[in-house]
Amino acid sequence: MKHTQEHRRWLAPRQYAKTAAMSATSVVGDSLLFALDYVLRVLRVLVLLSIWRTLFEGQESVGGLTLPALLTYTLIAEAFADLFNVNTEMDSALWEGTIATRYLRPMSIFGQFAAETAGRWLFGLAVFSLPLLVLAPVLGVDPRPASAMHGLLFVPSLALAVSVGFALDFIFAVVIVRMEGSVWLVNQLRAATTVLLGGALIPLSLLPWGWGAVFGWLPFAAMASAPLRIYTGTGDPVPLLLLQLGWSVALWPVAYWSWNRNRQRLVSYGG
Amino acid sequence: MGANWRAQGRAVLRLWWLYARMDFLWITRVPSMFFTYFWSDIVLSVAGVTAVVLLAERFDGIGAWTKPQILFMLGYATLIEGVINTFFGWNILLISRRLGRGQFDHTLIQPRPLWMTLLTEGFLPCSGSAILVPGIALIAWSVQSLDVSLSFAWFGWFLLNLLASTAIVLAFSYGWGSLAFWAPRSAEEISASSHSIVSQLKIFPLDGVGAVLAGGLLTILPAGFIAWWPCRFLVGIDPRPSVGLFTPLAALCFGLLAAFMFKKGLIHYGHTGSSRYLNLGHRR
Repeated sequence: MKHTQEHRRWLAPRQYAKTAAMSATSVVGDSLLFALDYVLRVLRVLVLLSIWRTLFEGQESVGGLTLPALLTYTLIAEAFADLFNVNTEMDSALWEGTIATRYLRPMSIFGQFAAETAGRWLFGLAVFSLPLLVLAPVLGVDPRPASAMHGLLFVPSLALAVSVGFALDFIFAVVIVRMEGSVWLVNQLRAATTVLLGGALIPLSLLPWGWGAVFGWLPFAAMASAPLRIYTGTGDPVPLLLLQLGWSVALWPVAYWSWNRNRQRLVSYGG
Repeated sequence: MGANWRAQGRAVLRLWWLYARMDFLWITRVPSMFFTYFWSDIVLSVAGVTAVVLLAERFDGIGAWTKPQILFMLGYATLIEGVINTFFGWNILLISRRLGRGQFDHTLIQPRPLWMTLLTEGFLPCSGSAILVPGIALIAWSVQSLDVSLSFAWFGWFLLNLLASTAIVLAFSYGWGSLAFWAPRSAEEISASSHSIVSQLKIFPLDGVGAVLAGGLLTILPAGFIAWWPCRFLVGIDPRPSVGLFTPLAALCFGLLAAFMFKKGLIHYGHTGSSRYLNLGHRR
């Protein structure tokens, strides 16, 4: 009986679509500060593009990356930044105590957060990513993939990156519960780890001492580096996709099992 | 007049001592938590600058900057963050949170001038000073390889620019944060957002970004003043004294602008107060 209800919850796409739509439209309503975030992202990409141009002055390629490929890499990393670093804001729900009321809704916990996150992405993709891609030639960047095939393979790679990202986000939420609400601490450590190991800010092949080769095997690389390498044609798609698939298959059972196991530890005060 | 300043100076020192003791008591209450946060602060600050360090290592510097110069700049940026965390904790830096949450009345009812409360109440020499460690270490390490003479005058310039950069960070946060006087709910996090913008951009050498963007990053979003511009002078890339004076002058301008906005907001607050604070301690 319990299993049937759970399955029904997952098989109700309309509820999730509505939740995503509500989340997409609430971005503007809550606060206009989201615009500041976009300003920061534009500035960051401009600064990074100028740094790459400075570093590649007089060099054909570094670490298998040419300057045009690197500029495209940076632009696409920023355009899809939210998808390459999944954040469901479950940490906020744990911090604010609203996680308790989530259990009253006729939807699965994972599904609720995933739908809300997807809604926010839709807004960001429309308001920020699309204009950024359109304006790319003005910045001297070719936003197109290395080839049509690389563009096609980017789609499943992005889907797998998102899958790994969701699984890791839920696992980090479990860590917050286990550490009895150290939301800030876990989030900061996670951010520090993801930025460096994910390869979105700096391509892993540009890291010194061969670190990139090691980091490339980690799940963080499956979240960002792998789809970006496929898009820019700087990595072999098949092993990259297999690696992403492997991490997705490995992490989801861990996320599901650990969340259910830790559910009884949840303490919700709010405030 | 002189006696008054001396008395106020003594009061500031007394309050710093008081808050230092309270901070020490807090860390001794739950030492395990303190050490966890202290070490994570260090790890995070190091992680925050690692990307640029690795790039400098891979490319043997960035543009006109050599590796030691890049390390010095990152150490300087980290030290600024450490000074801010040590002296302006408890949302004194992120003032819009206090304003937006209706907690500013707590500050106003203190029996001392407002500037003195803001200068002393966020003093966290034990729990907030973790980031000073990697900042000082990076500077001490890099300064040995710099091609500058470490004279008394150089240390004077260093301290002057350090104070100026810190003042610019504060002024930027207070300038934007003053909006919370008028819009407490929607601007509650504006200091955090504005601080995040300048913090994230402070680690990059901005030489190649072009005049327009560099100008913007020295005026509208003064991230360039947190490390890049003062360090260009301090590490000898542009050793003209006028370059060294530019950051203190900018601090003066940003400080005056922030003081003006904050005072305007305070006058508005005097008429309206805050409607967000509830008796039971939560905010609407």
